Amino acid sequence: MTSDTPARRRFRVFSRRPGAPSRARRRVGAAVRMLAALALAGGVYTAFTPGAFAEDNTQLSTAAQQGKELFDNSCISCHGRDGQGVQDRGPSLIGVGSASVEFQVGTGRMPMTRQEGQAEQKKPQFNTDETKQIAQYVQEIGGGPQIPAGSLVDDLKENPESLARGGELFRVNCTSCHSFTGAGGALSSGKFAPSLHDATAEQIYAAMLTGPQNMPVFGDNQITPDEKREIITYVTKQLQENQDSGGIFNLGGYGPATEGMAIFLIGITILVFTSLWIAGKS
Amino acid sequence: MSTAHHGGTGTPVDVNDPKLTRFDIVKEGLRRDDIEIVTYESQFQGANSKAEKRVVRNISLLFIISGLGALAFVVFYIIWPWRYELGNNRSDYFTPILGGTLGVSLFALGIGILAWAKKLLPHELSIQQRHGDPSSDEERLITGQTMMYVADELGVQRRPLLKGAIAIGVAPLGLAVGAPLVGGLIQNPHKDKRPIMYHTGFDKEANGGKPVRLTREDGSPIRPEDVSTGGQLTVYPGIPGGATNKYADSPTLLIHLRSDDAATARAAADSDKNGRNKGSMWGNYVAYSKICTHAGCPASLYEQQTNRLLCPCHQSQFLITDNAQPVFGPATRRLPMLPLSVDDEGFFVATSDFKDTVGPDFWERP
Amino acid sequence: MKRRKLDPAAATANFAKGVDDRFQAATPLRGLLNKVFPDHWSFLLGEIALFSFIVLLLSGVFLTLFFDPTMKEVAYHGSYLGLRGTEMSGAYESALNLSFEVRGGLFMRQMHHWAALLFMASIVVHMARVFFTGAFRKPREVNWVIGVVLFLLGFFAGFTGYSLPDDGLSGTGLRIASAIMLSLPVIGTWLSAAIFGGEYPGELIIGRFYIAHVLLIPGILLALISVHLGIVFKQKHTQWPGPLRTNENVVGERMFPRYAMKQGGFFMAVAGVIALMAGLFQINPIWLFGPYRAAEVSSASQPDWYVMFMDGLVRLMPNWQIYFGDYSLPPLFWPAVVGLGALFTLPMLYPWLEARKLKDTRTHHLLQRPRDNPERVGIGMMALTFFIIATISGGNDVIADKFHISLNAMTWAGRIGLLILPPIAYYMSVRICLGLQQHDREVLAHGVETGIIKRLPNGQFVEVHQPLGPVDDHGHPIPLEYAGWVVPKKMNKLGALAPAVKGFFYPVEKPADIPVSPAPISSGEREEISSKS
Repeated sequence: MTSDTPARRRFRVFSRRPGAPSRARRRVGAAVRMLAALALAGGVYTAFTPGAFAEDNTQLSTAAQQGKELFDNSCISCHGRDGQGVQDRGPSLIGVGSASVEFQVGTGRMPMTRQEGQAEQKKPQFNTDETKQIAQYVQEIGGGPQIPAGSLVDDLKENPESLARGGELFRVNCTSCHSFTGAGGALSSGKFAPSLHDATAEQIYAAMLTGPQNMPVFGDNQITPDEKREIITYVTKQLQENQDSGGIFNLGGYGPATEGMAIFLIGITILVFTSLWIAGKS
Repeated sequence: MSTAHHGGTGTPVDVNDPKLTRFDIVKEGLRRDDIEIVTYESQFQGANSKAEKRVVRNISLLFIISGLGALAFVVFYIIWPWRYELGNNRSDYFTPILGGTLGVSLFALGIGILAWAKKLLPHELSIQQRHGDPSSDEERLITGQTMMYVADELGVQRRPLLKGAIAIGVAPLGLAVGAPLVGGLIQNPHKDKRPIMYHTGFDKEANGGKPVRLTREDGSPIRPEDVSTGGQLTVYPGIPGGATNKYADSPTLLIHLRSDDAATARAAADSDKNGRNKGSMWGNYVAYSKICTHAGCPASLYEQQTNRLLCPCHQSQFLITDNAQPVFGPATRRLPMLPLSVDDEGFFVATSDFKDTVGPDFWERP
Repeated sequence: MKRRKLDPAAATANFAKGVDDRFQAATPLRGLLNKVFPDHWSFLLGEIALFSFIVLLLSGVFLTLFFDPTMKEVAYHGSYLGLRGTEMSGAYESALNLSFEVRGGLFMRQMHHWAALLFMASIVVHMARVFFTGAFRKPREVNWVIGVVLFLLGFFAGFTGYSLPDDGLSGTGLRIASAIMLSLPVIGTWLSAAIFGGEYPGELIIGRFYIAHVLLIPGILLALISVHLGIVFKQKHTQWPGPLRTNENVVGERMFPRYAMKQGGFFMAVAGVIALMAGLFQINPIWLFGPYRAAEVSSASQPDWYVMFMDGLVRLMPNWQIYFGDYSLPPLFWPAVVGLGALFTLPMLYPWLEARKLKDTRTHHLLQRPRDNPERVGIGMMALTFFIIATISGGNDVIADKFHISLNAMTWAGRIGLLILPPIAYYMSVRICLGLQQHDREVLAHGVETGIIKRLPNGQFVEVHQPLGPVDDHGHPIPLEYAGWVVPKKMNKLGALAPAVKGFFYPVEKPADIPVSPAPISSGEREEISSKS
């Protein structure tokens, strides 16, 4: 999506987004290492317990089988065998669906370092294909919400009013935590709603559908798939691509707090230096 | 004018003396204004020195930059495509270009003028006497007595009838002027039989005794299955204009709790001290007023795992599973709970209005 | 008839004569041209406020030509796609049209907003200058009070202006304002009903705020600014102590041409900075906030910075509600009403409080260096610390979010900081002032440290001091009187070393010249040396 387009022209204040090419390279490197480790570990494991997976694997699709391997290596310690969950370590994954996996694993929130309310966004441990495989596996063992196929963003040429409708829905449902500009916001006791500026359409869709961590669930009965698409259209087209009407710097979109800082750090500072110069002895 | 010679020290000169230079006449003026020029010397060694020429060049350059900036401003103002379009395009740069060109133009002109004053004009040190002395006692006495005499002339003291008549005449006129200014603004907040202060759009009585449905912002009613577990929905009273700012106190948050949380919430609601929240939940659903009891912002940052509602304005936090009691921040009062039910058609209704008063606190809140 | 040739010089003289015949302008005009102003950078801070006020008036007049303060609901059909078809108030629609349909309108709006922030910021900085230098003392107490009132008026002008577009963010602020009115004991509901014309939000408030914002408040501001400047003009500006400067004179430069040019140039510079900021930095993107709806809110909802201290105090206030039988006093009342009131009345009273404490009834035209009145600096720093913590707390959710600090911890840090940091600031600044004073006295008594260490015959090392004045028979400096102005503390200030290199980007002192390797020593010289030994 847009967040990985290197040709983003704007200066960003407090940008937390690393340069796209290097991240991609690192991701590939990590994936290669991971695959090698997996192959080794999986090979050793299957060599010693040859019959362990024999019956289960028959019901799973190829992708899910690969996902299961990844799951059994990386996720099983907390989410238990077949995603049944482990008391006090990780919840059951029965019924969470592939959307949840794609969000949690795809944004690097899973694997989690420890059980807590706020899952930190990290560098994803799995590449897109692997994430999809794990998601497929979790989907096949327990079912649950899925990200629909097809474009998640409306074409504004065909459907221009979807932008305004998306904005309306965004302000009713999303801004209270993610703020008007999508810059995110603080929640109680150290938790926070993340910025949406780097979120992809799939991630936004999955987040709405599954309610990760403390985010409420916005099921399809409440916000229909069409409405979700409109919200995503608003976030991606308006907030991500077109955030800076009226300036080159948008001061992070944090509102009056950074504007107040700017007037002192820039306006007052320049003018105080000017007055120092005016009254200085030449 | 002889009066101009006040306080001037030194010897006056004859300003009509043809031998005087213009500066001599200026100095005579300064003398009359009690100003002494201590130093007044050029900043350069001799006229047209190299240093002076350089400064003049720099200042001229600044003026030219200013002019070019202003010209650029006008040109871009006219030719640049400025109409808003979605996405990244040239119109986005209209404001930065205007600000950049005008800002550079103004700033360069400012610095140019400042440099002129600072670098080209002669160094000057002048001393002016303040004359900040108060008036003499004699002058004060005269003014004071004059004022007293004015009062004497009016003779109000001697004419008590007039005094009383003025009081009677002026005070009502003051009131008459003030009354429409103030009175027009005054509204009795308690004048309605059911003041809106204590009631919201969910008030059954105002709806002809029929329970008010919970609706979305577009007015569509809500079925229980519309809100997923761990989800929340902002709902409005299902009356005409229920989602508008006319019913600014009515927005409500309908929350579908997980079953274990719902059990806790139900136990807390049923054992409510004043009994108001008893039986207000429906199934695993609970509805609280969205309007913070502190300052009236929508307290709508719902954390579905910790079951807290956070208000983004002043960070009051309310625990949903405990009657939305405040657990942190400046709010003192819990969020009012809306008694829920489902009507024959399977849509959510409010069985009555909120039983606590909605919105920020005030003096006479029951 | 012979046509008379127009002589420009004669015509001007004639005109001037005519003016003086009618208005007797010559003498006062000369006085104005010759009026002497002292020169110091800190005297220009107030000018920033004055000049940004002028920018505010100019840009504000432009905005009124397009703004429509109505709360009637309309559907938006402008060029901003993200809101097309949305129901909104006429005020919000016209603010959007002003931004998107008027050529350069968005630039003017942003200029107006940045100028407002700069106006308030420079007032605070100017106030700090006046306070810490004791410029508020007799005879300038009234002007100090006017200054405080100007800040208060700016506060309300800013708040009403911020509310006018009727967008989602300002509507939240309006809601809080109504809650603050409601929190007043006894009259709260009546006051709110009077201002909003009934129940909040009603349909009148934008129109009422509009007239307050464009007529009432700027009118009073303009009048008070004129009085403020008039008093400065009448009483003449204060000055720092120094050579030739006494309490009875003003040392500086004449108003024309130099001082006036500096003012004019500075005005251009201030306007230029505002224009640059307005062009480069987006401010208050109302189109993202949507129309105000009572149910909608954004995280990180804040007022503009000069209201943030109040919002911060409200956030930090514990939830203490006081009950009187059936009546109650909400906690909002204390920070928002009492706090705001105290923050304005206490500074207003300060000149008299200080004069009373010091039993000082004299007239002061000479400023005091902050160090010479440690108590005042302490009190000022205490107030400033309080204000800064309150202001930071007004944005504590943004800080919590962006620096990954717990929001609750930020609130507690603010609560504790508000109580303990101001006294610490008081103590530290008093100690620093006393230390600086002592150092001044020390140099006056013993002279400047030269950096030359001398070894005495008994083996003791002492640093040689350069006396600033005459010495007595034993070579000890005669202690000098402190004159209330900078005491030289470095040898290069005395001309004993090369002068310090001036400028922001240069080292304070010139680096020592790199030693050039000596020319090859000729054999003859060498012989000379050897022959001597």
